[in-house]
Amino acid sequence: MFDKSKIGQSFPPFTIEVERGKIRELAIAVGDDNPVYQSREAAQAAGYDDVPLFPTSPTTFAFWGNSKMVGQLASLGINVMGILHGEEEYEYLAPIHPGDTLTGVLTLVDGKTRQSQNGSSMDILTTQVDYTNQHGEPVLHAREVIIVRG
Amino acid sequence: MTTNAQTPQTPQTPTKLYFEDVEIGDAIPKLTKSSVTHLQLVRYAGASGDFNPLHTDPKIGEMIGTGGIIAHGMLIMGFVGQMLSDYVGPTALRKFGVRFKGMTHLDDVITCTGSITAKYEEDGIGYISGKATAADQNGDVKVTATFTAMLPHRS
Repeated sequence: MFDKSKIGQSFPPFTIEVERGKIRELAIAVGDDNPVYQSREAAQAAGYDDVPLFPTSPTTFAFWGNSKMVGQLASLGINVMGILHGEEEYEYLAPIHPGDTLTGVLTLVDGKTRQSQNGSSMDILTTQVDYTNQHGEPVLHAREVIIVRG
Repeated sequence: MTTNAQTPQTPQTPTKLYFEDVEIGDAIPKLTKSSVTHLQLVRYAGASGDFNPLHTDPKIGEMIGTGGIIAHGMLIMGFVGQMLSDYVGPTALRKFGVRFKGMTHLDDVITCTGSITAKYEEDGIGYISGKATAADQNGDVKVTATFTAMLPHRS
């Protein structure tokens, strides 16, 4: 069972630089060959300042930016090998461009433990990473619900 | 916009979607993806940074009991993201969220569909909201999604 006293706890911030190549790599992996994700030239030809974020690019910020993520999740008292992804939601607050440096803070927003009749338990945790850019402007919220079976 | 027909070397100006073009109930042009392959999951692991072996190592899938390798849920969210990016444009999304409903296996063919559920203005800016689903060739739902996008007015 997760440690309920950790609800509301935030971890130390991490930083990640937004990279054009990483956006392209993710778009290709998803199988989206829209030219705007491939190069700055194509993005500008289509009327954008630079390569825009692919809609799920925020997932790369956590995995590649927060090297301590697994340890932080474990410190909440859960078995990280048993994590199932329940939900993911992004709120895009302001434009994010290649070359921006983002600072992310991971917080345990909420959590509950559900008991079933056979005695097994399930933790449902909501985490959020709040991102600001190099100017201190909030640019993105990334909220996640994870399910961990006891 | 049919992105499958484009190549990285051919820049195109996308057909822009305006607030006036959308009505509640409109269907979002559906997106049918090629079948999920092991190579795609390897690429996706590298791109996303999620190296959970459940998604790349067949032995782990057999051991855990998922019936083999399963795709990252976030890959399927990416498919829905592609459909939305094609529809509203890459910089229009303001909110995009999914619930993961089912596991996706190799060779599954995922189709994304969606529709518009709301259309409104706030401070003169036009917004639409909608819902979407990603399902496999048997109609089994993998992901349900909601989104809000900001659309420009025709001048």
